[in-house]
Amino acid sequence: MSAAIELRDVRKNFGPTEIIRGVNLSIADGERHAVIGPNGAGKSTLFNLITGKYSLSGGEISLRDEVVSGLAPFQINRKGLSRSFQVTNIFPRMSVYENIRCGVLWSLGYKYSFWHIVDNLKDVNERTAEILEEIGLQARAQIPAGVLTYAEQRALEIGITIAGGANVILLDEPTAGMSHSETDQAIALIRKVTEGRTLVMVEHDMGVVFGLADKISVLVYGEIIASGTPEEIKGNAAVKEAYLGEEAE
Amino acid sequence: MSNMSETAGVARKASFLSRYAIWLVPAIIVAIMPPVLDSNVAMAVLNQMGIAVIFTVAYNMMLGQGGMLSFGFAVYFGLGGYFAIHGVNIISEGGWPIPLPFVPFLGGLAGLAFGALFGSFSTNRAGTVFAMISLGLGEMMASSSLIFSKFSGGEEGITTDRTEVPPFFGVEFTTEQEIYYLIAGWVFFAVFLMYRFSRTPIGRIANAVRDNPERAEFLGYSQKWVRFMSFSVAGCFAGVAGALFALNYEIVTEETVGALTSGVVLLQAYIGGIGFFAGPIVGAVIFTLLQTLMSNYTEIWALYVGVVFVGTVMYAPAGLTGLIMMHIPVYRVGRMGKLTVPYARIALPALICALGAIGFLELWQHISAGATGESEIHVFFMTLDYTSPIPWIVFIAMFLGGLWDARRVAPAVADTYGNALHYAFTGEDQ
Repeated sequence: MSAAIELRDVRKNFGPTEIIRGVNLSIADGERHAVIGPNGAGKSTLFNLITGKYSLSGGEISLRDEVVSGLAPFQINRKGLSRSFQVTNIFPRMSVYENIRCGVLWSLGYKYSFWHIVDNLKDVNERTAEILEEIGLQARAQIPAGVLTYAEQRALEIGITIAGGANVILLDEPTAGMSHSETDQAIALIRKVTEGRTLVMVEHDMGVVFGLADKISVLVYGEIIASGTPEEIKGNAAVKEAYLGEEAE
Repeated sequence: MSNMSETAGVARKASFLSRYAIWLVPAIIVAIMPPVLDSNVAMAVLNQMGIAVIFTVAYNMMLGQGGMLSFGFAVYFGLGGYFAIHGVNIISEGGWPIPLPFVPFLGGLAGLAFGALFGSFSTNRAGTVFAMISLGLGEMMASSSLIFSKFSGGEEGITTDRTEVPPFFGVEFTTEQEIYYLIAGWVFFAVFLMYRFSRTPIGRIANAVRDNPERAEFLGYSQKWVRFMSFSVAGCFAGVAGALFALNYEIVTEETVGALTSGVVLLQAYIGGIGFFAGPIVGAVIFTLLQTLMSNYTEIWALYVGVVFVGTVMYAPAGLTGLIMMHIPVYRVGRMGKLTVPYARIALPALICALGAIGFLELWQHISAGATGESEIHVFFMTLDYTSPIPWIVFIAMFLGGLWDARRVAPAVADTYGNALHYAFTGEDQ
């Protein structure tokens, strides 16, 4: 199985401080991979490096054997990688429907078209309706996204992320701030919408991590100290000491 | 079967009519204006209004739809005007077979070219950086129009005679009515194209970039490219408006590219409401009316326009169109009647307050600028002696009393509106 994402000796400095210190990581196509670690370990920074928000201080990142480090976020997205954010990042003044449609338009080839009328694009509107149904927001389609409840906004965030049909999905703490029942719904949603795609996620909730991930990498102070199946990680002494403690028991 | 297809045909016709009624009704009104009004002054005001409509809708493609606040948008308007006026002169001198209605294309091309040129580096960022660059470019082009006088005619500007251009189906555009129809045609054509642009993928993504440029980048869109396209197209339509200005007045001066013109378009867009496509149209119409009608009655009309602008930004940030749109849900559920009395209750003290303020300002203006030895002025169809304390006391009392009462009843009026809106969305009273 070829690697969907490969990080080779990835480094990131902010001034004299080295936040990411030589990360090597290979995530296989179709794998559900969780990156865990204590606060300040550099998990979100790693996401920002993979998606082009930050430039690398060293190393190289490939997406399906194509080097993407140095490219802008929109160029990386066009190569089939999409992400969500730790803090909800939607288009608050636009309707829920428009939010999803923005994600759909590029992937169906309309790009920057100044000729087509969006309301008349059957394929775009059908795909948008499908995604709305998948994320359970069809009844809320016409209201401004900014007035949705928190859990609905998180679902919309996931909807926007998958709308473009990217094969590699990065979710940054998708269940943060949710209640137990909301978290269960979010896990089911993530499982459904990422079926057949590569999923990389940063998550603090160990229930979510062990319930969803095929593989887990543990990031501590900018270094991956362990990588393996959930059982391997549970049994890893270094991980227990550095991060999980009794939580993984 | 034939009944079904007939029904479908009727439904299609009805939907076609309802879809295009919004264009058809104004088109009919605009078409019958000249014979109905039968006045050259009214035609001149309407011509000014039409030009302002195209210019302001173009401006709002950047501000309202693209999130770019420009302080120098007159650059593209003025350059469109300069190129059009040179175009008319070249056509006249060379005897080129290009009639007048095609000249705005030249202004549009100039606006597009300079929009693309300046947009190529000014649209990297939105926000303060963009606003400051636009201000700098505006000042640069305004001073350049004085420096490069061979092109711009210096302080006197460039003049032309539009009647020298070959006639268009026998029309020589010698009268206000003829140029009115030319401008009106272009208003519909340009506004239709700009509306259409707002419904295209690039138009919708411009909204997305306005709301959240970072998120749009992670969906595959280059925020810079989206802004650049909106900016260039807006420049194109500003150029069309500038060309119509040149054809209407037959002169373009450095004022046309200057800061005042840039400021006016910003005021028009805000007063009308930048959040709606129709907002800038409303703003341009209201502003032109205020400017042309009020300037007949008072010398301090610009001060009143300023007050209207500040009032709009403070109390109705969605503009006049926003005020109308916020009542649509209430109107749909038939609850407007419940708002009539509370609105009349606040409108009366607000009107008294406004009249008091206007009276006071008019008195003050006459103290500062009135002819020596003259103590009488005409305010509100009355002759007043501004050396007497009585009118001062009355106007100040009206202003303060009206303000006090309007502020006192405002919370109750806001509650009534809130209730009506709640009912509109939930079907229940609060």
